[in-house]
Amino acid sequence: MTTLRTALEILALVAFGYFAVLNTIYLVFTGLAWRAVRRYRLARSYSAVDEAFASPLTPPVSVLLPAFNEEAGIVESVRSLLGLRYPEFEIIVVNDGSVDGTLTRLAEAFELVPARKAIRASLPCARVRAAYASRRHPELWVIDKENGGKSDALNCGIDAARYPYFCAVDADAILEEDALLRVAKPILDDPGLVAATGGIVRIANGCRVDHGRVTNVRLPRSKLAVLQVVEYFRAFLVGRVGWSGMRSLLIISGAFGLFRRNLVEAAGGYAQGAVGEDVELVLRLHRYLRERGEEYRIEFVPDPVAWTEAPEDFATLSRQRRRWQRGLGEALWRHRRVAFNPRYGLLGTLAVPYFLLFELVGPIVELVGYPAVVASAALGTLSPAFFVAFFVTAVLVGVFLSVSALLLEEFSFRRYGDDGDAVRMVLAAIGENLGYRQLVTFWRVLGIVDMARRRKGWGAMRRRGLGYAPVGGASKGR
Amino acid sequence: MSIDALVWAALALTAAGSFCAYVLSVRRLYLLRSDRRHRAGEERLATVTAALAEGDLPRADEPSEADLELVAELLARYSRQLTGDARSNIAGFFESHGLVGREVAHLGDRRSWRRACAAFLLGDMGSPQALNPLLRALDDSSREVRSAAARSLGLLGSGQAVEPLVHALVERRVPRAIGGQALLTLGSEALGPLRPLLLHREPNVRAAVVELVGLLGDAGDARLLTSRLRDSAAEVRAKAARALGRLGAEEATIELREALGDRIGFVRANAAVALGLVGDRASASALLEVARSDEFDPAQAAARALSRLYPQLLWSAARDRTSGPHLAEAADLTAAAR
Amino acid sequence: MSGAMIETNGTPLVLVADDDPDILTLVGFRLERAGYEVLPARDGEEALALALERQPDLAILDVMMPKLDGYEVTQRLRDNPATSGMPVILLTARVQEADITRGFEAGADDYIKKPFSPQELRARVQAILGRR
Repeated sequence: MTTLRTALEILALVAFGYFAVLNTIYLVFTGLAWRAVRRYRLARSYSAVDEAFASPLTPPVSVLLPAFNEEAGIVESVRSLLGLRYPEFEIIVVNDGSVDGTLTRLAEAFELVPARKAIRASLPCARVRAAYASRRHPELWVIDKENGGKSDALNCGIDAARYPYFCAVDADAILEEDALLRVAKPILDDPGLVAATGGIVRIANGCRVDHGRVTNVRLPRSKLAVLQVVEYFRAFLVGRVGWSGMRSLLIISGAFGLFRRNLVEAAGGYAQGAVGEDVELVLRLHRYLRERGEEYRIEFVPDPVAWTEAPEDFATLSRQRRRWQRGLGEALWRHRRVAFNPRYGLLGTLAVPYFLLFELVGPIVELVGYPAVVASAALGTLSPAFFVAFFVTAVLVGVFLSVSALLLEEFSFRRYGDDGDAVRMVLAAIGENLGYRQLVTFWRVLGIVDMARRRKGWGAMRRRGLGYAPVGGASKGR
Repeated sequence: MSIDALVWAALALTAAGSFCAYVLSVRRLYLLRSDRRHRAGEERLATVTAALAEGDLPRADEPSEADLELVAELLARYSRQLTGDARSNIAGFFESHGLVGREVAHLGDRRSWRRACAAFLLGDMGSPQALNPLLRALDDSSREVRSAAARSLGLLGSGQAVEPLVHALVERRVPRAIGGQALLTLGSEALGPLRPLLLHREPNVRAAVVELVGLLGDAGDARLLTSRLRDSAAEVRAKAARALGRLGAEEATIELREALGDRIGFVRANAAVALGLVGDRASASALLEVARSDEFDPAQAAARALSRLYPQLLWSAARDRTSGPHLAEAADLTAAAR
Repeated sequence: MSGAMIETNGTPLVLVADDDPDILTLVGFRLERAGYEVLPARDGEEALALALERQPDLAILDVMMPKLDGYEVTQRLRDNPATSGMPVILLTARVQEADITRGFEAGADDYIKKPFSPQELRARVQAILGRR
């Protein structure tokens, strides 16, 4: 019995320690994010995007859109891309062997005609069946290929791209008009230095989308989606801004990222069969450049927006979070050499260890540790009063962090103009910490279990397209 | 950890959280009201401001002091859409109300974002009074300020800004895209100081200058650029080819055809693009060869060039299966566009 | 064709389409001062609908507009016999050569670069309308 007690005590202590460190980190990041986002917001007033739009010196970009069974939203998504304010760009939609009407919808909406496309053979990808050009939009190409997964589709797009930069966009993402200009700004400022940039992803559920543009920003009706909106503020505005400032941005969202093409090619393209191909690529780029001793920057721009659809049911959301966790874990495992390695600078000494300990393993600690705390309290090792106090404090810390992220959004971009929405967000910030986060933690642990299981069967696990199925689950028409 | 500490922490957090929520709601109310006022003001003053911009406003209708800030904001926005006399009218307005002076003073603010804002606004205002202060701002310690100053100097349109801008570019005080665009906005006045820099010792300077001359210059500059086709740096050669295409330099066709044989791929690609613009029928066969057998980028550029230059040749070549994917692509693209 | 010639009160009607309200204000002001009647539109669809309904004497279209861009609207105006003769001026910041060619290929009569000079705009409008 005493061994059990000691074990529980130790677990409880670990949980306390974890809790303290994690939340201190969050608080520090919140502080960093405030400074950075405020600065960025001010910088908007003198950022000269109009001049960049009109300038022949702005580098051209190939926008890549990998699509699998996206008939519901593909046309809207491509329309939003066609409406991008950018001087020179092309759009390459890669149809990854869809079995629904994706290709037909595209053919109808954009007057596609078969056209042979020259494709480099530098990155391996599944067989290309056909290519199509658009009569009405000379900058649009559609490549139809056999299914190979998202990485495969992206690599095919990279092989087909003309321009020195490519922008990977999710098939259900709606880009804002100026999004490409803004995400390209760091590259305009330092063309030789900036290797990749990422923009922010916001949740479109509840917004009105018309002809490829978000015309009215509103909170979703679904409570689950609202919780995610608040969650994304913390993850994007606070998390990524912070890491970007420390030159250790680990994640450029697959929904919206801009990369130097040659570099990605040289580094080997997207990893085949990887579930978190976006995280994996960025990590690999960091390694590739640092190992060559090249000076570079990978930045997060908090302004340009890609609107995506968030899951509104538990099943899809849980699948998504399990997948994300697995993706993170696989990427970290593949590049485990970076962890705690000073050769990789702050990336190796701070960022990767953080993700390893707090994002990857953290959920396990939470899942095991907190019940240990409860058990300790029940067994009397911990005074119940202390336990209650701790529990209350824990929730309040979480609420504070969520509300401060909301405040940050309010003071910077203020997209949600409606007051009712503001109230709902505050309520969600509270509710997020009373069950939602715990649920997500549980799913993330499942994700780790998934990862441990599947690692044995790596090759066999090339699931047809489930790797990036539209998270909307039952695809919503817009 | 004692319970007391936790209780204190909990209280502090509750206070902080409630404070945040309070700030949020207060700010929203405030912003809502001020937004509404702002929008109403804008609607009310739009026409008056437009009239001001076009110098078409009778004295009686001049905006009141209370409306001044709003009119100034609108006018700065409008000025970005306008050129010509309108810009002088706008500058006159800002000068007469002391607003230019105010922003010039802000150029000395200790916060860099404020200086950058001021530098940016001075460009919108368009007053020549800002010229010297902006030139000094090209030496500011903050890059954002220097960039904003460069952009504004472009908009002010004074030839005096050319040399300082060029120096700022060369010394990398200002990003290439921004400094370059400012020079482009200044126009052909920039050519004088730029031309000698075609022989600068640093290749990236030569490359930037070649690009600008290609965008600003006239046929007379073709000879200068042609000599850069034999520059030691590949980037310069590539940009020179591109520039010759932009200038429509038909006399450079022979040299461009030679550049099609450059040992660096992107130079060949750029030469192909240029030939698509200025080449003659004789170049077509050279382009065909590149499109058939070269690496991806030059081959694709050559195929597209051929579609501009000599489409019939493109189609007949594309029918041949051995001619490679680029000719096929270019042919199909041209067919699709019809 | 004849529908466009008949004006109800002799004032030429000009359609101006741009999603930027500042442009609508500026262009609208200049044209009204010059004695034209201005019909504003905020996007390509609205522009097309208004053009078909009101048969303006001239259409000034921004290229980058939501729903239908300037090229598409021009194309559709040309394709429709009721409006095929309507003069079109394209207004835009995008002046790469490819864009200009595309504009003319779509059927535009003229191309004005942003930033624009209000005087020049008026002169071009007068030139085009004077021809009719």
